[in-house]
Amino acid sequence: MTRIARSHWIYVALTAALALAAAIWAIPKLTERNWFGYFGESGTGGAPLPSLSPDLFLFPESAQIVLLAVGIGLLVQIYSTAYLGRHPRYRSYALIIILFLVAMMAVVGTTNLWVLLVGWEAMGLCSYFLIGHEWQTAEARAGAAKAFLMTRVADLGLVLAILVIGETYGTYDIFGAQIAASDGHRNSTAIGLLILIAVVGKSAQFPLHSWLPDAMPGPTPITALIHAATMVAAGVYLAARLFFLYADSEIVLTAMAVIAGITMLMGAVFALVQTDLKRALAWSTVSQLAFMFAAIAASDPEAGTDHLISHGVFKALLFLGCGCLMHAVGSSALSAMGGLRGAMPVTFWTMTAGFAALAGVVPTVGFFTKDSVLHAIEHAADGDGGLAVGTSYALLVVALLTSVLTAAYATRLWLKAFFGPAPVDRTAHEAPRTMTGPLIVLAVAVFAVSIGQPFHLGVGALSTLLAAVGIGVVVLLWRRGSTLDWAPAPLAAELGLDRPFSRWIPVVVRPTARVVVDLDQDAVDVYPRSSAWAAHLGSRALGLVQSRNVQQYATVLAAGVVVLVLIGVVAR
Amino acid sequence: MPLLYPLLLSSALFGIGLYGVLARRNAVLMLLGVELMLNAVNLNLVAFDAWFADALHTGQVLTLFTIALAAAEIGLGLAIILALFRAFRTVDVDEVGA
Repeated sequence: MTRIARSHWIYVALTAALALAAAIWAIPKLTERNWFGYFGESGTGGAPLPSLSPDLFLFPESAQIVLLAVGIGLLVQIYSTAYLGRHPRYRSYALIIILFLVAMMAVVGTTNLWVLLVGWEAMGLCSYFLIGHEWQTAEARAGAAKAFLMTRVADLGLVLAILVIGETYGTYDIFGAQIAASDGHRNSTAIGLLILIAVVGKSAQFPLHSWLPDAMPGPTPITALIHAATMVAAGVYLAARLFFLYADSEIVLTAMAVIAGITMLMGAVFALVQTDLKRALAWSTVSQLAFMFAAIAASDPEAGTDHLISHGVFKALLFLGCGCLMHAVGSSALSAMGGLRGAMPVTFWTMTAGFAALAGVVPTVGFFTKDSVLHAIEHAADGDGGLAVGTSYALLVVALLTSVLTAAYATRLWLKAFFGPAPVDRTAHEAPRTMTGPLIVLAVAVFAVSIGQPFHLGVGALSTLLAAVGIGVVVLLWRRGSTLDWAPAPLAAELGLDRPFSRWIPVVVRPTARVVVDLDQDAVDVYPRSSAWAAHLGSRALGLVQSRNVQQYATVLAAGVVVLVLIGVVAR
Repeated sequence: MPLLYPLLLSSALFGIGLYGVLARRNAVLMLLGVELMLNAVNLNLVAFDAWFADALHTGQVLTLFTIALAAAEIGLGLAIILALFRAFRTVDVDEVGA
């Protein structure tokens, strides 16, 4: 099937219309010269009360994120017509993608924190539906529930953060808070830590990271969408957008730096040992998101969102390419791939660009934005920014180490998927054009977006050197005949980082739930039960009077008259 | 004649009629009870008319009206009881109502 089926055009057209509207809205904003420090024209401060007023405003950076989201959304929608078009639930799938994009636009485009929360929650819901799209498999159901529950924990942080912001600055409008905060920051540690909880869950950072790799049973185009443009991007965006609220709190920035450091290294190590291409890419997303948070912790949110854009482009490319490979060999396991270079030339060349961007090779966009992030951390290490110098140096070392590992695992995945011997009984073929088309577009974007990106010579040379070391070591090992499969047991089990959730939470929650149930049954239910009992007795008593015997009624009537007359006589 | 005697008689009649209506299960006898109560009222009207020595004799006139009314009422009541009997083959109100 190389053409889009007629029944699928409508969804592609809907997405295209949305993308067009977003482009008309966002493109003029790209040239405006104000970043998150801008206060906006509405000096009055906006909505003072919890309201859902649709105050829309786009910064150049948020305009870029909107364009990224709808662009990748459109490509994913086109890609899905071939990848999933014959699925019986294609219709709901395609429509939820559109809802997903609208929710993302609401999060990015609004200045009202409550509208932001609505979009944020809608995204959590959409990702739940889409991860669980193949709900007939237990894996997909478990992954969807896990993603939903873990991000819900984070949502609690966001709700509390919004309430604290409202209490502190008397407004739920971001501009209003910005104006109020310019007179002096208050509660910035509390607000910052709550926002940190929110973004840690949404963007899959340690310790709430494990939902993202476990979301892999979802359809691959959805993985691309979630990893590149919508779900996890919202967390980074929020952290950058509200950076001004906690910029002066060293506690928050240090916590963010520590989380980012742990996560980026952990994600890279796990990506290096995976035997499944899709899961390896998922861990790579976790690691790359940590890079963005490292930039924000180093007081350069702009570098963080720049890396978000670039990561969105190349990670969407990699996941969609991974989908093509799965389409060809029927599995996402690396052992089923190998030697696909000749059979799938388009996928090979486009994914090569994607892997190069992931590894940070000049002149892909990944190089430039990773460069900016490293530069920002280096800058913080010089003492500019809220982070302590020692923490900054530690973060820089971890980031550089992660760069080496990133280059290494990108090379490993590239080699294992496309080179080496092919499994004997396999007839791989190139994916249809509706699937390779988006790949080509994204591969061009990998180079095109790097135009105009800032460049820092010293850091650039260092990171290129480190990437070369990572790539070189892996290529050397490959040449010597290594299979590049190295998975010590603890790493293969991903260090059992899920065990606290699966073991400790039930220990606490089950007895609590039992107490709540008992309370409900024995204490709360007394009121409805006793009132029901009283009503029952009352109705029984009244039922005695209503005997359906007219003569009895008449007797009562006569007796009543006699009594009234007697009362009248006595009273006189 | 003192007023007391006819009033006592009418009270007795009314009480017997009321008892008939309340206690009897036979529809015809209930109707008879109603008639007794009506006639107790008639006796009251005549007794008070004589006691007040009313020039226009409104009490007696009203009694005539009541007798006519009672005749119409008994006709209607017996017709209903007849219809009841045709439908249920009984005039026992408990059995009809059950």
